[in-house]
Amino acid sequence: MPYVVRRPDRNLWEQSYVPETVRGLGVTLRHFFRNVFGRRDTVTLLYPEQRRPYPPRFRGLHRLTQRDDGAPRCTACLCCQTACPAECIHIVAGEYPPEHPLAHVEKYPVEFWIDELRCVSCGLCVEACPCDAIRMDTGLHPRPVEARPHLIYERNLLLSISDTAGNVHTANPRKK
Amino acid sequence: MRKLTIDGREIEVAEGTTVIAAARALGIDIPHFCWHPELSVAANCRMCLVEVEKQPKLQPSCQLEAADGMVVHTDTPKVREARRAMMEYLLLNHPVDCPICDQAGECKLQDYYMLYDLKASRLWSEEGKVRKRKRAIFGPHVIYDAERCVMCTRCVRFCAEVVRDPVLIEVHRGDHSEIAVAPGRTLDHAYSLMTAHVCPVGALTSRDFRFQCRVWFLASTPTICPGCATGCNAFLDHHRGEAFRLRPRENPALNRSWLCDDGVLAFRLHNDHRLTAPELGRGDDARPVAWDEALAEAATLLRKVPKTQRAAVLSAEHSCEENWALAAFAREALGVERFFVTGRTAGTADDLLRHADKNPNRAGVRSMLGAEPEPLERLVDEATAGSIRGAVALGAAAATQGPAAAAGLLRLEALVSIAPRRGPLPEAAHVRLPSPSFAETAGTYVNARGQAQEFPQAMSPRGEALEVPDLLARLARRLDLGLPFRSAADVRAAVAPRLPRPAAEGGAP
Ligand code: SF4
Ligand code: SF4
Ligand code: SF4
Ligand code: FES
Repeated sequence: MPYVVRRPDRNLWEQSYVPETVRGLGVTLRHFFRNVFGRRDTVTLLYPEQRRPYPPRFRGLHRLTQRDDGAPRCTACLCCQTACPAECIHIVAGEYPPEHPLAHVEKYPVEFWIDELRCVSCGLCVEACPCDAIRMDTGLHPRPVEARPHLIYERNLLLSISDTAGNVHTANPRKK
Repeated sequence: MRKLTIDGREIEVAEGTTVIAAARALGIDIPHFCWHPELSVAANCRMCLVEVEKQPKLQPSCQLEAADGMVVHTDTPKVREARRAMMEYLLLNHPVDCPICDQAGECKLQDYYMLYDLKASRLWSEEGKVRKRKRAIFGPHVIYDAERCVMCTRCVRFCAEVVRDPVLIEVHRGDHSEIAVAPGRTLDHAYSLMTAHVCPVGALTSRDFRFQCRVWFLASTPTICPGCATGCNAFLDHHRGEAFRLRPRENPALNRSWLCDDGVLAFRLHNDHRLTAPELGRGDDARPVAWDEALAEAATLLRKVPKTQRAAVLSAEHSCEENWALAAFAREALGVERFFVTGRTAGTADDLLRHADKNPNRAGVRSMLGAEPEPLERLVDEATAGSIRGAVALGAAAATQGPAAAAGLLRLEALVSIAPRRGPLPEAAHVRLPSPSFAETAGTYVNARGQAQEFPQAMSPRGEALEVPDLLARLARRLDLGLPFRSAADVRAAVAPRLPRPAAEGGAP
């Protein structure tokens, strides 16, 4: 619906600009002197020497968690790929051969790609995962890289990343 | 006739109709596992219980015959509580391995859980569950997971009643009951994938489709099975240009609710060995080229052959539209008088669905030509003798095979092949022009019973493939020859009056 934006009424003093400009400059100068000579309440950090502590729920780069036997926890159900609004997850599902020790798990991701450049860090993939297999608790930002393909992360790299405490495993509380 | 009331709506049904079928006719879906419109009534899952006035207990609607004056309620608190209780019972020992299960997304357990249950299990521990066989190979196409099975026996009844090969049986009792293959047998009849199709849960799944694609990604387009001359109605499930399976589309007058295994797997005709760019040259000399170059070469080659020594090969694998366009192009532009027909070689037939002619449109080719085309064998003979020297051929399959046939085709001085995929005909050709697969074009097939059935286009043509009428129009322009059609609409208009009969009942999607 169209509506009218009402402009604030200005009196002659304000309308003449110069006094108001001087007043604005005064505010800037007051902050300047207060921070240079007096109390320091600047919000700027000297990154990377100083770092702000991250909240525990910070969503960093993804990792794929491992079972206790080192196999991926992921069962390639494609729930994360379905939930992802940026369409940056691509999984190819495969089947453990019958003689494999993990044959009872049946399904695993043969390929698992995440394009960290397209990711909008929404965390929906983590929410969607029924197996606690994908997490964003690594505390990491995407690294600067020389070419875009370097930020398309692949299965084994994702499996090797740990959380901030160095864990690569998760337990499946329902069953092993 | 019987007149009854279901949820306040009156309906009149034939004597012997069950309440669940009557409700279905009204558009009321009573949840069910074991009932299937094409199978006998087993009434063992108890999911379909409904309340009938003047009857003290809930009644299984799949077994209850409609009677005059019957008043049925399908959605009362009592019925909903019965459904919830049934779901709790069915899920008691269920492994809940949906992330691994291929049925997820089209599973009745999932759907009904969301609709009627939505409660956590009250079972004290995972270990308390009865464990059963997982990943049991039942046959070349089907795999079984006993823990997911709800023992509805649809698969057993399908084999016994529809295929009349009772290869699946029930074994053990109570909690431990499961489905097994009869001793000494494997589930290897020609309709084995239909057991996976009727299975309402993820107990029986297709080994071919297993883990290939999640079903919620699939788009479905109605189609006609290109596998044989029966012309079964089907859905083609596809995702991003890849086909994944064919599923039966109900047509009571033709294929009822079924497809044969070859039909389900006929989607491979779309995926495999595709020709995606025009090519010149045979064998090791083959090389992809641009359309202009391919068409110029085709025109040069065809010009060299005198009219009387030119022929056209129609294809029983291709739609009426494509065949008519080629016939019209050959007759009017090239002056061809000899028409041959190719297609896949004959196979097994049975009295359920499968037809010995493994091509969907032989009858259509006949109607489009207005005469009986000659067999490909004769073309091979005449090519060997040198009386036919040039041909335009539709389709990839050669109806006659063997070294003699291949040598005969190689004798042709100009063979222009229009085909969606590689095969003996395109391999023998000097010029290969890619055309859309059965899924990439709309068209009409005429089945062995003479029923014309239309199907829509499911995907856009892969690579550089061009619709056959388009491609022929370009070739005619190269040859400076006039064509009797300009657009796909012209082709459709020309095809319609030549079709044997108006579309078969239930055939139009
Ligand atoms: S965080 Fe969001 S955008 Fe990134 S991969 Fe997960 S679902 Fe996709
Ligand atoms: S990471 Fe989780 S949601 Fe994604 S495919 Fe694997 S198991 Fe499924
Ligand atoms: S395998 Fe499927 S169709 Fe057969 S009894 Fe079990 S649930 Fe029913
Ligand atoms: S559908 Fe009626 S008891 Fe199974």
